[in-house]
Amino acid sequence: MKRKYPRNYERNEKYLERLYELACKLTSIPAVSGREDMGMQQLAELCAGYFDNYEITPVGSFIGRINCGKEGAKTLLLDAHFDEIGFMVTEICDGGFLKVVNVGGIDPRILSASEVLIHGKITIQGIFTSKPPHLQEEGESSKPMKLENLAIDTCYTKQQLEEIVKIGTPVSFRSTVERLQGDYIVGKSFDDRICISAILRALELLKGKDLPVNIAVQFSGGEEIGYKGATTSSYRIAPDYAVVLDVTNAYVPEAPIYRKGIKTGGGGSISYSAQTNRPLTEKAVAIAKENNIPYQLFAEPNKTGTNSNAVQTSRGGIPTVLISIPLKNMHTANEIVTLSDVLEVSRLVSEFALSFQGGEINVG
Amino acid sequence: MLDRLKNYCNCISPSGCEDEIRELIINDIKDYTTSYEVDRMGNLIAFKKGKKTPTKKILLSAHMDEIGFMMKYISDEGYIYFDIIGGIDPRVIGGRRISIGKNKTTGIIASKAIHLQKANEKGICVPIEEMYIDIGCTDRISCEKVISVGDYATFQPNFEALGDNFIKSKALDDRFGCALLVEIMQKELEYDTYFAFPICEEVGTDGAKEIAYNFRPDIVIVIEATTAGDIVDAPKARHACDLRSGAVISHMDGGTIYDKQLVEFVKKTAEENKIKYQIKNVIAGGNEASAYQKGASGARVIAISAPTRYIHSASNVVYNDDLFEIKELVSALLERGFENA
Repeated sequence: MKRKYPRNYERNEKYLERLYELACKLTSIPAVSGREDMGMQQLAELCAGYFDNYEITPVGSFIGRINCGKEGAKTLLLDAHFDEIGFMVTEICDGGFLKVVNVGGIDPRILSASEVLIHGKITIQGIFTSKPPHLQEEGESSKPMKLENLAIDTCYTKQQLEEIVKIGTPVSFRSTVERLQGDYIVGKSFDDRICISAILRALELLKGKDLPVNIAVQFSGGEEIGYKGATTSSYRIAPDYAVVLDVTNAYVPEAPIYRKGIKTGGGGSISYSAQTNRPLTEKAVAIAKENNIPYQLFAEPNKTGTNSNAVQTSRGGIPTVLISIPLKNMHTANEIVTLSDVLEVSRLVSEFALSFQGGEINVG
Repeated sequence: MLDRLKNYCNCISPSGCEDEIRELIINDIKDYTTSYEVDRMGNLIAFKKGKKTPTKKILLSAHMDEIGFMMKYISDEGYIYFDIIGGIDPRVIGGRRISIGKNKTTGIIASKAIHLQKANEKGICVPIEEMYIDIGCTDRISCEKVISVGDYATFQPNFEALGDNFIKSKALDDRFGCALLVEIMQKELEYDTYFAFPICEEVGTDGAKEIAYNFRPDIVIVIEATTAGDIVDAPKARHACDLRSGAVISHMDGGTIYDKQLVEFVKKTAEENKIKYQIKNVIAGGNEASAYQKGASGARVIAISAPTRYIHSASNVVYNDDLFEIKELVSALLERGFENA
């Protein structure tokens, strides 16, 4: 299908296919916030080849480093969070049902009759219950839905279930990545795995180039429950500058008017905020312009709701830029992004890294 | 039976658009039936000669159609507004994937991110007329190249084994009945029997009305899936029926009070053949039996149902052994015949 691409968008099937492949691999790894260890091995196997060395922190972050080999070189940190929203088992009930609490922000409206994976001794499937109409009270459908009124049906007996699941067992959404029209794709946990894809793709673009800075990458844990991984791994890395990559809510019908500035297909959204560094942000915007990379601007003065503040306030302060990939249906099993935005963000990140001539820039 | 059930469930055939499932069924029965026909409305009726010709005209019925969606309007932003086909609780629609039209285009029923919801919107289900589908188009023109107003859709096919011998899929209501009828038809029968696969059950049992008029059966056995409320926190008295408890026999549901002698006859047959069954304990649901009962000069009707959780959602759940109990029961009934029923 033909569609209009943003200014200067270079459509390259091979690159888009590569990003799609990365998205599929990355979103298939389970890592509910606080239990990132469940998928860390898989993540490390997928990413190790990109780095000179890597380590895994006690707070669920993966850190990889690429040294540029230049004396006195500065270090640029690239951050995307590895954890995903999900649930935790609180009760194993008669009939093989599980009661759960949310880990991170979950909309109870999308759960009824949806599918999940329960990561117990073995991984099993589950389905969120939906109350049949004959059990609903008059007027119930106009009342708010609550997670506590739902349960997960495992289709095992309680006895069988007790062998597999314990209180505290993590649960994740179950969903596959699928292509939609144009370059749009749908899947779970694009928040924030799609940004991990963008970083890996950026590193592929940088391969063989003469790097002016050392690059440190953190795929941080615990973002959805208070930026825990980013806080601790930025401290450990002690970078000089940072780029945080996350997703942002794109405009959809009924969203606040100011969201109209953020569209899927318009490129990465660069944030102005007290939680990011303005001179470094201006530099990112300038680099996008110079390289004809489409971008959008977003203003979120106080809080960005991302790792940017945790990174920026690490140690004695680290100038930080926030670039976001526009996304629809955030925190559901069917998040939607367009690969063209992911591609443009990966280009912007690689050009940004290459722009540190002499390793230093003036960030005011 | 499970492979067949999977193929049937994965058809995109909501009420009024039953072509895909009908072709599959015809393909499966054409070598086994004495004759079959598709009437001018799209109902499929097959006849199979048995060893004996009964004095009564016996008809088994399982509806082909399923609940689904129809595309109503494409917005300038490339989103599709829609309505439901049949009865679907709006609460099971938001955030689901659907397959649209002949090309089975994937669409997502959008759900506004929790971060964008106003305080008074939290947890409140969006009315269907405000829901929309996202297929990855950003304008009307590109969307219209793929989707047309009037296109139909269903939840995305998702048939799978689950847990301890359970099955999950869309459309088990009533592809289970279709698969069972086809299985029965592939064996030698004791008595001549008619097999009906009506259309449009979910929108008012329309197909069965037409069949009742054209075929004038004396006894109709409806094989269907019925709602099971055996979920956590639900009182036993309101379960209607339970999974793992065998075939469901109803005295009454939302549409029909079943023939008393037939109910007793089915119970007795189940008991004598040691087939697990249960009696539906809540007046809920309904099926095409109501159309047969009051069609033409009327027929005696009975329903035998598979207990099904989350019916009319993307994930109907049934217990495998329940399905086999029903198959045993229907086979036993046909073997015995209805001469004394």
